[in-house]
Amino acid sequence: MGAFEELVARHRDKIYARAFSMMRNEEEAIDLSQEAWVKGWQRLAQFQGESSFGTWMTRIVINLCLDQLRKQKRHRTESIEAMDEETGGVERHMPPITINPTAGLERNELRQRIDKALGQLSYEHRTVLVLHEFEEMEYKEIAKTMNCSIGTVMSRLFYARRKMAALLNDLRKTA
Amino acid sequence: MDHEKQLKLQAFLDEELSEAEASEVASWLAKDQEATLLLGELRNTRQALARFEAGVRLPESREFYWSKIAREIERLEPAAARPEPARVSWLAAWRKFLIPAGAVAALLIAFLVTIGPPANPAGRVEAESAYSDPGVFTYHDYDNHATLVWLSYPAENDFPESEPNDKVQ
Repeated sequence: MGAFEELVARHRDKIYARAFSMMRNEEEAIDLSQEAWVKGWQRLAQFQGESSFGTWMTRIVINLCLDQLRKQKRHRTESIEAMDEETGGVERHMPPITINPTAGLERNELRQRIDKALGQLSYEHRTVLVLHEFEEMEYKEIAKTMNCSIGTVMSRLFYARRKMAALLNDLRKTA
Repeated sequence: MDHEKQLKLQAFLDEELSEAEASEVASWLAKDQEATLLLGELRNTRQALARFEAGVRLPESREFYWSKIAREIERLEPAAARPEPARVSWLAAWRKFLIPAGAVAALLIAFLVTIGPPANPAGRVEAESAYSDPGVFTYHDYDNHATLVWLSYPAENDFPESEPNDKVQ
């Protein structure tokens, strides 16, 4: 267990960060990341070294977060936002934002704004962004992870990016 | 621009198109101002996100965070969480036998030296055994200037009973 504790210490920030990006809730992210470590311990024999240990653990925490988000969605009532998941809502017809809304921002300020904008996305849009931009997954891999078609991944990613651009632009105007 | 074109543009940015499709989009981009602007917006968003994640830190201490994980592992797999017993070498396994055997041999020598007929009647011999370490026996023959020290091996403290639990993994 001593060696495993060392692995936890080494990768805990990354695993927590991934959980937090998806859940947007500190407490839930801590709980799910800890659950991921317990699962990692139980499945340690299955780790073949095809990817790095950190990547392998990240996949475990992503799956746990997705399960949790799906459970939460089942309890959520249908809303206009939920209906916009696939159709893209107003972002679909929005003209391109020509000014880079994050240009010249300090790292901390940029992080705060992105954090705020990510928090306003639906979990499907946020997840697809997290998997593509942070995990650098290809469309095919995201589709497999999220159990949907590649077309759905492409649509969600497109609307997620457009919504992020709009939110970041609004934050720039109000700052 | 229709939705299919929008998605193709995005796939171009993400390098998900074949070489032929990518060159088709590139030539289309050169003629379409709106597509170029949209590509710029998508690229800006991607670049902003790329700078986001570094710096997110777990808001709990290492010990506190680990303690919950360790408790859960122990609850689910008590046997796996328990440290394995320390491995005992073959020499250490024989230790229980070697030490008393050495002591008995030393006492036997002492007995034989004491009761046996002296090689030199005037000779002075002395045998002693350290009380603190029964594995050591010393025989002095002052006349012949000879000293024999019998050491049982291994020494008393060479083999700890087991390694401390916190070193066992």
